[in-house]
Amino acid sequence: MIRILARRLAEVAIFLLLITFVSFLFARMAPGDPVLSILRVDDLSVSAEQVEQLREDMGFNEPLLVQYGEWLADFARLDFGNSYISNQPVMDMLRGGVPATLELTLGGLFVMVLVALPLGSLAALYRGRWIDQVSRGLSLLGAAVPSFWLGLILIDLLGVRLGWLPTMGRDGLHSAVLPSVTLGLAISSVYVRLLRSSLIDSLNQENIRAARARGISEPRIFFSHVLRASLPPVITVFGVSLGSLIGGVVVIEVIFAYPGIGKMVVDAIRGRDYPMIQGYIFVMAILVFVINSIVDLSYRYLNPELRLKGKGRV
Amino acid sequence: MKKLLILFAALAAMVLVLSACSDSSAEGGGDAAKEVNLLFNFATNSLDPHVDTSYVPVRAGIAETLVYLNDETLEIEPWLAKSWSSEDGQTWTFQLREDVKFQNGKPMDGEAVKASLERAMADNIAIANALRIESIAVDDAELTIKTTMPFPEFPSELVHPNTSIIDVSETDFINKPVGTGPFAVASFTPGTAVDLVRFDDYWDGAAKLERARFSFNEDANARSLALESKGADIVFRPEVETVEQLEAIDGVTVESTSTFRVHQMTMNLQRESLQDVHVRQAIDALIDRDMIAETILSGHAEVATGPFPSSFSFAPDYPEKQRGIDEARKLLEQAGYTEQDGVMQKDGEPLTWTLLTYSARADLPLIAQVFQSDAGQLGIDVVIEQIEIPEEHMVANRDWDLATYSNLTAPRGDAGYYLNATYHPEGALNFSGADDDKLTAMIDELNQVVGQEQRSDIAEEIASYVDEQMYNSFVLHPNTLVAYNSGKVKNWTTTRSEYYMLTNELDVE
Repeated sequence: MIRILARRLAEVAIFLLLITFVSFLFARMAPGDPVLSILRVDDLSVSAEQVEQLREDMGFNEPLLVQYGEWLADFARLDFGNSYISNQPVMDMLRGGVPATLELTLGGLFVMVLVALPLGSLAALYRGRWIDQVSRGLSLLGAAVPSFWLGLILIDLLGVRLGWLPTMGRDGLHSAVLPSVTLGLAISSVYVRLLRSSLIDSLNQENIRAARARGISEPRIFFSHVLRASLPPVITVFGVSLGSLIGGVVVIEVIFAYPGIGKMVVDAIRGRDYPMIQGYIFVMAILVFVINSIVDLSYRYLNPELRLKGKGRV
Repeated sequence: MKKLLILFAALAAMVLVLSACSDSSAEGGGDAAKEVNLLFNFATNSLDPHVDTSYVPVRAGIAETLVYLNDETLEIEPWLAKSWSSEDGQTWTFQLREDVKFQNGKPMDGEAVKASLERAMADNIAIANALRIESIAVDDAELTIKTTMPFPEFPSELVHPNTSIIDVSETDFINKPVGTGPFAVASFTPGTAVDLVRFDDYWDGAAKLERARFSFNEDANARSLALESKGADIVFRPEVETVEQLEAIDGVTVESTSTFRVHQMTMNLQRESLQDVHVRQAIDALIDRDMIAETILSGHAEVATGPFPSSFSFAPDYPEKQRGIDEARKLLEQAGYTEQDGVMQKDGEPLTWTLLTYSARADLPLIAQVFQSDAGQLGIDVVIEQIEIPEEHMVANRDWDLATYSNLTAPRGDAGYYLNATYHPEGALNFSGADDDKLTAMIDELNQVVGQEQRSDIAEEIASYVDEQMYNSFVLHPNTLVAYNSGKVKNWTTTRSEYYMLTNELDVE
């Protein structure tokens, strides 16, 4: 395990260096720079000379590699700089936003599990029956409905008409329910179908028939054997898509005024707020690395064959 | 298998219980206390009054500036400063109010104001550039400010919310700035809301409200729904399509107020066809303003005759103009163009224009399309090019003819900002490339004149000259929509500057 972790850490160091370099280049090569935003040309008196002077002072006229070198030197001291727009330290801003985004992501996953597990399981267990058809229909609907529309419909129904839940903001657990449900429903359709087909494969395994022949109860067979054997493919897809899920909650964050980092980074990209963009990419890279590591480790728990291979017993 | 079904049913029941776990705050915290919740369309992650680009501290009544913009007269007035004067437009003397306290109980004196202005300039380079302050000297409640050059519109620049006066001896500017306004910060959730409490020692009389909430949501539909659910009492810029639905709700009032913004057609004067004033006038005649205001903005706009809304003292009474396709054809003929086989041309060269537009302001691409269609009827081929950052693109590339653009023209009650930025050869927003000696001389003259009345006269002359030369064509001034629960909220005023929202006069039934 330690060897795996050490190898992983070496990989991540190289991966982070590469990703910061590539993202730096992409951000700087995109048209525009933050000088006009910083000088608020749309609101305050500025001369063309002042614009050029600030561009020079901020080093935007330097070659890209020199700019990257300067960024890297600060990064080595764990100094991500201040946001050009808000003048706040980037790390403070991210520290403020990451918990909300993670909360939303975890809430969405919880709802996804609550939806996908029963629907996928029932569809697999009653293959071809009405419940399977309903599950298929709901999955198609879930995949077709855009999350912003679903969010507005849920606000209208649960917030405006029924008055059960707050429609926006982050103020305790209840305020996370609507955005989490929106996100969870939006992502669950893929997992319902994936879980269904994976469960059907497992249900057809010989060990399951043998378990039935031995008279083991159906719930025990399902939870202890079938479900466990069906999870690795689902978790693989989950691991691959979680990074994009965290990055993709921005629509939900805007509709529900949920103060996460998704919205923050969209503003940063619009305003060419380079320190913020770099900081966000760095944090996201670490998150994706951590998630993928957890997913890898979970295989070893779910699949005894891998665990035993590690111990040289297979 | 039945047990399995029961288990799933139990899980589903848990979800319902969780959903029902809402408390009274789901209704926006509405209780017997005198409180309002204003929902604004821009979010902020920082309440630092000197940096925040959403101007929340001034809008929420936390902080105030030395000078105030009167929304009715559109002239500047004393606020934290009692009066000001200058002989030469470069050395300014401000008399401060002596009865003002910060929300932490400390008096607002000359030294505090100096420290606050110095911090604003140190932390915000845009403000440092705009104020052009060379030195500040303090003598009790008198502040003597010297600018780096004669700068007659200096007092009007002090209307800008980023020049707010705060107690800089406090430290948490981002979450809890201490200003002089009628409301103090109780708590701040970045990106979501700021909760406010009444400041009892407010110099202009304590607020009628006990508490207030200034919250943010950048989705227009979600804001409309918040008003419907009574989660908010005042909502800025609800979705235009929901206005009728909101007006149908008992007690909801929707106000449509003109702003200081203008949507314009910027003309690149370096392009051959646009160097002829008749062609520029033809473009102006081609723009169907009434139709654009009615269809694209659903009537929530004032048709523009020039850059400044007609209520400004320096907006000229423009001569009546003939408009429409026939008038445009006539003007183009005066410029030597003729329509042959459905193509407008001169010396065998068809007339084509590249029209830039951008989606950050949703109305602009639609205006571009209407113009393209109208020009097509005259046999002019208009190619629309979508760009991302107009200010960058228009400067870096000069291969375009026209651009839809949106400008603030007199955000602080003075025309100097707009005229300098847009028509002076050194202006950062001079995208048309205007370099007209007469016009430059007029702007330079404006930059030397101190008296407000005289400044207005010169600004009016400049606006008339720009109209004669048709350096840009002005389409409309979009309105701001505000919907509020008038059954509950009293004394609400939608200001055109949008600087002042939560005031000490605001009240609830």
